[in-house]
Amino acid sequence: MKIRRLSAAVAVAASGALLFSACTSPAGNDDPADGESTATSAAASGPCKADLGDVETADGEIKMSIEDEFLSYNGLTPEAYSVYNSAVVDQLFGNFYYFGTDGTICTDENYGTYEAISEDPLQVQYTLNDEAAWSDGTPVTYADYMLDWAARAITEDGKVTDDGSETPLFNHIDGLSLGDYVPEGPQADSPDAKSFTYDYERVYADWKIHAYPPLPAHVVAEQAGVSTEELVTAIQELDMDVLKDAAEFWNKGWLSKPGEVPDPAIAPVTGPYDFKADGWESGQYITLEANSEYWGTPAATKELTFRFIGADAQIQALANGDLDVIQPSGPTVDTTTQLEQLGDAVNVDTNQNLTWEHLDYNFNSGIFADSLEAREAFAHCVPRQKIVDDLIKPIAPEAVIMNAREVFPFQDNYEDVVSASYDGRYDEVDLDAAKEKFEAAGLKEGEKVRIGYAAPNPRRAAEVEAIKSSCDQVGFEIIDSASPDFFDKDLPNGDYEVALFAWAGSGQIASGENIYSTPGTQNYGGYSDETVDEAWKTLSSSTDEAVHAEQLPIIEKQLWDTLYGIPLFAHPGVIASSSNLVNVHNSAAQTGVLWNAEQWAANTAS
Amino acid sequence: MNGGSFYPVSYSDTLIAFPSRRRAASASKGQPVLKFILRRIGASALVLLGASFLMFILTVNSGDPLQDLRESNDPNRDQLMAERTERMRLDDSDWERYWDWLSGVGGCFTGSCDLGVTINGIDVLNLTQQAASSTLRLITLSTLLAIVVGVALGIMTAIRQYSGFDYAVTFSAFLFFSLPVFWAATLLKEYAAIQYNNWIAVGQYAPWTIVIAALLAGFLLQAVLGGSARRRLVTGAATFGFVAVLLFAFNALDWWRNPMFGIAGVLVVSAAAGVLVTALVAGLRNRRALYAALTTVVVGVIAYWFTAPLLVNEPSWLLLIGLFVVSLVVSVAIGAAWGGYARKDSMLVTGITGVITSIMVVADVLMAHWNSFLGVKSRPISTIGSQTPNFNGEFWERVLDMGTQILLPTILLTLVSVATHSRYTRSSMLETLNQDYVRTARSKGLSEREVIVKHAFRNALIPITTIVAFDFAALIGGAIITEQVFGWKGMGALFQDGLRAVDPAPVMAFFLVTGIAAVLMNLLADIAYAALDPRIRR
Repeated sequence: MKIRRLSAAVAVAASGALLFSACTSPAGNDDPADGESTATSAAASGPCKADLGDVETADGEIKMSIEDEFLSYNGLTPEAYSVYNSAVVDQLFGNFYYFGTDGTICTDENYGTYEAISEDPLQVQYTLNDEAAWSDGTPVTYADYMLDWAARAITEDGKVTDDGSETPLFNHIDGLSLGDYVPEGPQADSPDAKSFTYDYERVYADWKIHAYPPLPAHVVAEQAGVSTEELVTAIQELDMDVLKDAAEFWNKGWLSKPGEVPDPAIAPVTGPYDFKADGWESGQYITLEANSEYWGTPAATKELTFRFIGADAQIQALANGDLDVIQPSGPTVDTTTQLEQLGDAVNVDTNQNLTWEHLDYNFNSGIFADSLEAREAFAHCVPRQKIVDDLIKPIAPEAVIMNAREVFPFQDNYEDVVSASYDGRYDEVDLDAAKEKFEAAGLKEGEKVRIGYAAPNPRRAAEVEAIKSSCDQVGFEIIDSASPDFFDKDLPNGDYEVALFAWAGSGQIASGENIYSTPGTQNYGGYSDETVDEAWKTLSSSTDEAVHAEQLPIIEKQLWDTLYGIPLFAHPGVIASSSNLVNVHNSAAQTGVLWNAEQWAANTAS
Repeated sequence: MNGGSFYPVSYSDTLIAFPSRRRAASASKGQPVLKFILRRIGASALVLLGASFLMFILTVNSGDPLQDLRESNDPNRDQLMAERTERMRLDDSDWERYWDWLSGVGGCFTGSCDLGVTINGIDVLNLTQQAASSTLRLITLSTLLAIVVGVALGIMTAIRQYSGFDYAVTFSAFLFFSLPVFWAATLLKEYAAIQYNNWIAVGQYAPWTIVIAALLAGFLLQAVLGGSARRRLVTGAATFGFVAVLLFAFNALDWWRNPMFGIAGVLVVSAAAGVLVTALVAGLRNRRALYAALTTVVVGVIAYWFTAPLLVNEPSWLLLIGLFVVSLVVSVAIGAAWGGYARKDSMLVTGITGVITSIMVVADVLMAHWNSFLGVKSRPISTIGSQTPNFNGEFWERVLDMGTQILLPTILLTLVSVATHSRYTRSSMLETLNQDYVRTARSKGLSEREVIVKHAFRNALIPITTIVAFDFAALIGGAIITEQVFGWKGMGALFQDGLRAVDPAPVMAFFLVTGIAAVLMNLLADIAYAALDPRIRR
């Protein structure tokens, strides 16, 4: 008996320690006083990067977390293409544009400029900065863009792609899309020209984000055993002897052995950062150092280290100073609470990002396929506000219900699009209206509705639960039909009434055409509406922003009126940084917090 | 209570067990050991083969390797899916893919190992080597520590069965054993890393902390040593006084930021260790062993005096290993020279003493570098990673950095293993202590030390060998969570990442390493049995 009492006491003490540790994580940094006035330094006025004026690279190291290993200098092959690889390579390459904090396309004039010199037929002229050069001294030229085009245009058989569906010669994540639109390739006077044009075969609405950062043509040429000029000629003449060697190197040559920093001779860079010699420890970290040959605004801090750390370990590592900036994937309520407990020592920045959650009806079969009333009945009973309040706001307090599909609540044109397309009727639950429509649709009490999503996903399970407790009152019987192979089996087979998942926004204007038009490749539910199809066609075949702004509300309104599905919310994102740093801001784009990594600096004001 | 049932059951068990063990032993008498080992390896290889097939099939069917692409709205999603399907051979049957993998592994026997590539096109063989070395680094120290501490605790609790100390150890063993690792890791990071780092920035104890720490130390020591109430009181009070004075002195000297030990410290601690080792192994009455141990310590300290400049100015791993080997040879030689009638005991004593003295020497050098290490890394204990990125200190600072990085995961792994080891040792020791021959040994007038060390302990070790061997094999796989929470990319990460991506190659590599480790350790345990148990050797 004595023992039992004692052990109970210790057990209580032990579990008390758990609670205790949860409430009292102190900050790792000793001097909380200087954590106050960081926000003032160069707060960006718009979504694009702030102009910091003259920047001199300061000694020091900023440690950032990413959750998986660095793979390859060439992040454009499907093997190496991942969020985490991009996080590193994005710092190594300059490009004509980047995404601002709300997904706006911002141009980088350091690198070059581009403009449409003719609208129809579309002609885009790119002009590189005269100083733009690889870190080995070779200028960035037309030749590099010729190689970029080749990698996105030439098929295995040595032809320029016809419709983009052939097997490509180069293993590029973008497939053959560029060759499809620009079959002639970039045009310029000489291989070392700094200016070139793309002559589009047909209008491409997303021409503004069609340029990838190029890989070095002079390196590929050398590896294929020819000069840069000869490589350009080989591409123009589709000389497969040279191209096969070039593609072989392009596909495999840059894949790194973990822990071995790529040889600078084959991996020159054009961005503010470069690899650091011996700066990569497999499974642990990779360090980049400021590119001393960079012609533009230099990086604010000399070294940027990416440590490969899972989301659960990041917060304590930030508190202990092992990390300076963190961006935990899949943030939960715990993430924000724990970060708040660190107090002044860290700056926390929550936002909503370009991934959004939605409920889509199945138009191929089931009770919602042919009955607008049934869809309306369901839409009236889905507790959208409650879902946002209970599940999203605790993570990102600024979260709101999302009432559009192609624009996000934090974007400038959101209000205009929503006010023109939707009157707010599904914002709050209206059980009476739902019951009315339920009866009008001729549905009977206990009508089964399977909501399918990819398991396991606790948040979606909670969403379905909320929907069930509301919609069951109307007469539906909501069934949580989560399954690990939802996308593999249930979705293509149509074994669902409502699908619950998220689309990740790509920043493209016309990518929604695949989802909402007939027969879009990603239109899983089989929705079809003439008005929507036509509006998409008009939108995607124009480069005029006025046309885009005109067609978008038409599409959105029709999708609301016919109820393609119900948008719920934009996913919340959380970043945190040591309060000793300035200029660390969250971004809705896929780059996340790293969008302006070269501007991060230690706070020198205090 | 529950422990009481040990007596009759173990007694009758032994009666039955002995003849049967004899039979087994004599049956294997005609077979050479080599044949036995080969047969074991052959059988294990078959089991591994079957298990590998099962594992492969389970892995490739554990999910959808295209899942991330299915949810993507990339315009050329279909092309990407086709590309990955072809690269990972998803259209081929599981059989074909397994056969392909197996032939790659089969190449290992002809010197052309191919464990395949990951979903990212990275060579798995290379990846496995890196992961295995990282995991081994992580678990070797903790396994050794766990064996030493666990076995020692087990023996002490068995000798002092049903004492307060026994209850306390039993309770903490169960507590640590049932501890969720990720939660314990969070606590460790909070208190042993974040809070400690905050504290070491100043490095001074508050007076009340000193009082509490001294009280605690006094209480613990009297519980361990035991005795009459009066003796306990004296022990407790003396410990309290000693610890309190020591901690105040540390404060005054700023010891925690400028620790020093000095050659005198090495001498005193090593000599004390030497006496203790002698007392345990040979008995203090064996004066030759005692003098041998003390000679070893003195020689060691004199050697330290001469090699110190070398150790401080031109350190390298090679030098350290070389010196260690030399010190081991010299200490054993001292033991042999002093030995006399009990040469073997003496050599064991001096050998152990020599190792302890070497450790003390290294500890002294490390302490001397602690302050400069703090200068390079102001928050010494990290919560993640196996090394500080871009750490550029001197040799000893790098050693300290590796030590501080490995500290937390080692503590965690050790705690969990100590719990099991101490329990097994305790029950095995209790069983042995109740054997007839122990009673006989006592009745013929042997000292308690001889009874426990020579008669009971050695026999109690036999079942523990199996546990330890298995534990080591299991730790390689079981460190998955520890690796994850402390950001070590070892075998655990290999397995986990592979499984998440439904990528069979890394999962199978993990299986190969852990499977082979289990088989080898099991074999090793059998061989160790033969060395420990004379009945099997015969």
